[in-house]
Amino acid sequence: MDRGFLAESVRSALEAIKTNKLRSLLTTLGIIIGVTTVIAVISVISGLKTQVASSFSSLGANVLYVQKFPWVMGGAGIDWWKIRQRKDIGMDEFRALKEYGSSFKYVAPEITYRYDVKVGNKNARGVEVVGTTEHFPEIRDQGVKLGRFLSLDDIRYRRDVCILGQDVVNTLYPDENPIGKQVRIKGRILTVIGILKELGDLMGQSMDNVVVVPYTTMAKFVGHRRSITITVLAQDEEEASEEIRWILRRVRKVKPGEDDDFSINSSGAITKQFNDLTRTMFIIMIGIAGISLVVGGIGIMNIMLVSVTERTREIGVRKAIGAKSSEILSQFLLESVMVSFVGGIIGIFLGFSLTKLISTIGNMPFGMPIWGIVLGFSFSFFIGVFFGIYPARKAASLSPVEALRYE
Amino acid sequence: MSNLIEMKKVKKTYKLGETEVHALQGVNVSISKGEFISIVGPSGSGKSTLMHILGCLDIPSEGTYHLQGEDVGKMNGDQLADIRKKFIGFVFQDFYLLPDVTAWYNVALPMIYNRVPPKERKERAINFLTEVGLADRINHLPNQLSGGERQRVTIARALSNEPEIILADEPTGNLDSATGEGVMQIFYKLHEEGKTVILVTHELYVADQAERKIHLKDGMIEDGG
Repeated sequence: MDRGFLAESVRSALEAIKTNKLRSLLTTLGIIIGVTTVIAVISVISGLKTQVASSFSSLGANVLYVQKFPWVMGGAGIDWWKIRQRKDIGMDEFRALKEYGSSFKYVAPEITYRYDVKVGNKNARGVEVVGTTEHFPEIRDQGVKLGRFLSLDDIRYRRDVCILGQDVVNTLYPDENPIGKQVRIKGRILTVIGILKELGDLMGQSMDNVVVVPYTTMAKFVGHRRSITITVLAQDEEEASEEIRWILRRVRKVKPGEDDDFSINSSGAITKQFNDLTRTMFIIMIGIAGISLVVGGIGIMNIMLVSVTERTREIGVRKAIGAKSSEILSQFLLESVMVSFVGGIIGIFLGFSLTKLISTIGNMPFGMPIWGIVLGFSFSFFIGVFFGIYPARKAASLSPVEALRYE
Repeated sequence: MSNLIEMKKVKKTYKLGETEVHALQGVNVSISKGEFISIVGPSGSGKSTLMHILGCLDIPSEGTYHLQGEDVGKMNGDQLADIRKKFIGFVFQDFYLLPDVTAWYNVALPMIYNRVPPKERKERAINFLTEVGLADRINHLPNQLSGGERQRVTIARALSNEPEIILADEPTGNLDSATGEGVMQIFYKLHEEGKTVILVTHELYVADQAERKIHLKDGMIEDGG
């Protein structure tokens, strides 16, 4: 296209938009809302994904958590009732995995309860008390920063010892070294032998509000039984998962053809499940955005038809002085694309601000992928062309005589 | 015989709903280069239709129309647009200027469609405005100009692609007689410079200033074709 002609078309389109500021703004509202939604959804989900991925990576690679329930339940084909009916996972399963497993580096049970941990009149409420074995540090990649961890003898002789997480230390022994001192859990006196390395937060929850004890000791003060977690450090996640399934299906007498009645969770699996979940959300939101973009497009078509009618005489003059149909067509098409584009730019700006706001309020990482912006621009461009073509063709096909005569 | 305009047995028929309107019923017109012609006749006589066909805004239903030897009657919309751009400058009764742009930009508009480079456009536009006596109105918007000044901008616009023919439709219709007289002098000057000027009018004192009058009545030429 010739530069002079393009410049004239841009000038004419801007003039039309400027003359009808309010009308143009109202017209682009649908586009603005649509593009804002697209940008905000893409940015928020991509921010969430980054956060989830980084959070769960702290759970360790190659660590499998054998549990009664999956971490994330969602997607099609999930039979909630059946999952609720599952048998508890207990020490029998742990012993079987320990005895028959060949592809694991380490296996450990984790029996977890929430109890108050007390010293004198100080009380750390709702601490996660974990009963486990000496392999916990290797599997969880979390050792002690002071003192020592559990030994085989602590387990074997059911010693009344414990290792404290940093949060518990902060509450109970803020000013002194707790090693060798005692704490009380459910009336039982335990001696502190170490302090765990700090892990920080996972999804806004502290991972250091924890006390580790021998699982054998735990059995002494836990009244009722409940399902436990078996943690496995695998050489290879796939291979270990298959072996766990093979062993547990036999131990738990799952008939051939039936689904597993246990779940093997891992950080990789949860990321995948999270992605499945957000995909659905994503599709729904894009659908909503799509509807408002179409509504916006119809708005543009409507206003362009009005514009063509209002400027029939101008079209006649332009044709009389030598404008070809294709030149009238591109002039009006450019106008609708520009209207749509202005909406797109406002939408991108609003979407950006909205994402910034959400990430500030929700304390999430701020991520706005470039392809989101590209998508916003392409959407508004496409809408402008698609819904502008009919009015533009109408303008282009006017006969010069009819157009000049139009009152 | 190499006339600039050669129309033979031109008929134009419109359909107005069920009825057919025979606006032109076999018109012969020949105009040579450099002539100053007026087309006169009462309303409904077919002068607008004749002007549209002469100006290549429309094509005849029957008959032939040769402009500079080219058969215009068989051309499509884009070819006609090209012919208008090259050969014809229009002056309208209601001026039809773009309201949002200055006088010089209005004059430059046809040059945009004729792909004249931007720098040259402004230069030429100013020259044409000077020629019609508006050197001091270059940057005025149409609503800052008087009726006569607007009509002169329109004439400058018609001249901007240096066409062979200036075709004016009731150019003085919206002007008082003194102003109209001024506009007529410009047409006369253009004629003297060698342009072919065709005026369509129902005002006899305007028509009388032309070299030749073509009288139309009921879609036929009474006199002067």
